[in-house]
Amino acid sequence: MLDIFNVYLPIAEMQFNALILVAIGFSVGVLGGFFGVGGAWVVTPALNIFGFPMAYAIGTDLAHIFGKSIVATAKHRKMGNVDMKLGLLSIVGSVIGVEIGAQNVMWLTKLGIAGPVVRYLYMFLLFGLGIYMLYDYMTKDKRAAAQAAKVAEAARSGMARPAKKSWNLPPMIHFPASGITISFWTVSGVFLFTGWLSGLLGVGGGFIRMPALIYLIGCPTAIAVGTDLFSVLFSGAYGCFTYGIKGRVEIIAAVLMLFGAAIGAQIGVTAVKYIRGYGIRLLFAIMIILAGTSVALKQFNMTVTAAWVVMCAALGMCVVITFKLYQGFKKEQAEKAAYAVKEVKP
Amino acid sequence: MKRFAALILNFLLLAVPALVWAAAEKAEPLEKKVNLANLSGINYFFADWYNNNMWLYAIMVTALMGVVGMLIAFVTDIFLKMVGMEVSKIEHHE
Repeated sequence: MLDIFNVYLPIAEMQFNALILVAIGFSVGVLGGFFGVGGAWVVTPALNIFGFPMAYAIGTDLAHIFGKSIVATAKHRKMGNVDMKLGLLSIVGSVIGVEIGAQNVMWLTKLGIAGPVVRYLYMFLLFGLGIYMLYDYMTKDKRAAAQAAKVAEAARSGMARPAKKSWNLPPMIHFPASGITISFWTVSGVFLFTGWLSGLLGVGGGFIRMPALIYLIGCPTAIAVGTDLFSVLFSGAYGCFTYGIKGRVEIIAAVLMLFGAAIGAQIGVTAVKYIRGYGIRLLFAIMIILAGTSVALKQFNMTVTAAWVVMCAALGMCVVITFKLYQGFKKEQAEKAAYAVKEVKP
Repeated sequence: MKRFAALILNFLLLAVPALVWAAAEKAEPLEKKVNLANLSGINYFFADWYNNNMWLYAIMVTALMGVVGMLIAFVTDIFLKMVGMEVSKIEHHE
């Protein structure tokens, strides 16, 4: 029955189910719009499971990521979630870091230890980041209470408010969209580091940059999401073009995935309006722990199981995000209705 | 401020060779020609460009992704506005 949705892919020279492409695009679009990531770590295993030719998988994915990022970034910009100054700096720093990372991988390959180092570092990063973000979420109230107590104590004793520790090596740069003033060297160092990790691990880096923007730069979560997407837009455009020149983009598949992704991205971005801050961090933590589980399964040669884990995790997360969007929207409508009634009553 | 602008400009200029270098080929070009025999319409159009001019194919793919993405976003925006789910600037709190 699903065969009626088969389309002919002229470049890959095969029939493929259009629904599958749209569905994959949709789920990655929701995740991308909500978390500010590209989503290649979901798309590639998903395409592999359904028999899409791997020669075109990465290029086609990057092509659709570019289109989707335009949609999502434009919408985040409307919400005031894109710090373009920070985004542009992140691109330069990350790209240099990526190249250093890639060179390090070649050096590790010569030593014959690239495989294990990259695999275990990837797992350590995913699990470590996920667990830290979970811990951050679970202790947020305790930390807020402790901070409030410190400030109150300082006010009572007439002392100056305790200063936040920071490294103020000039030149300092002010990022008005994010509301932070930070040393140029801190910002550059953070993006060099995240770029280096991306190059070393052979990943896009969205899932590394987003938490780095929050925890190392001090961006509000929603701005970290939007700004990260802005960087993904550029890497997606570049990837789309370079893989296109190498003949590795299946254009019909990319358009079909983009169709789903553009709609999904609208949902993911709108959900940020209703979930916000620590809610986004919690869901992101769960997502990357599940991604880490998928990577761990691959190490035990359970590749198909690993792909299913990451796909089910992505679909499950889409359902949660869409549900939360619906909940938030209903609550907003109820509040608007209640306010309208108050206005009418004398 | 002028000195800082000069510093940033130098940083960017230094980054340009890195940007080009980082475009380092991570995949080999696919040396293949698509069989045009049974193709027609848009499939033939794309496959023909793929066979004859890879640069133009890449430009077309990149431009198409941008245009299609924006078109779908525009239509979805209208729909979301109709159901009352439009977005505007939000307050940033954690």
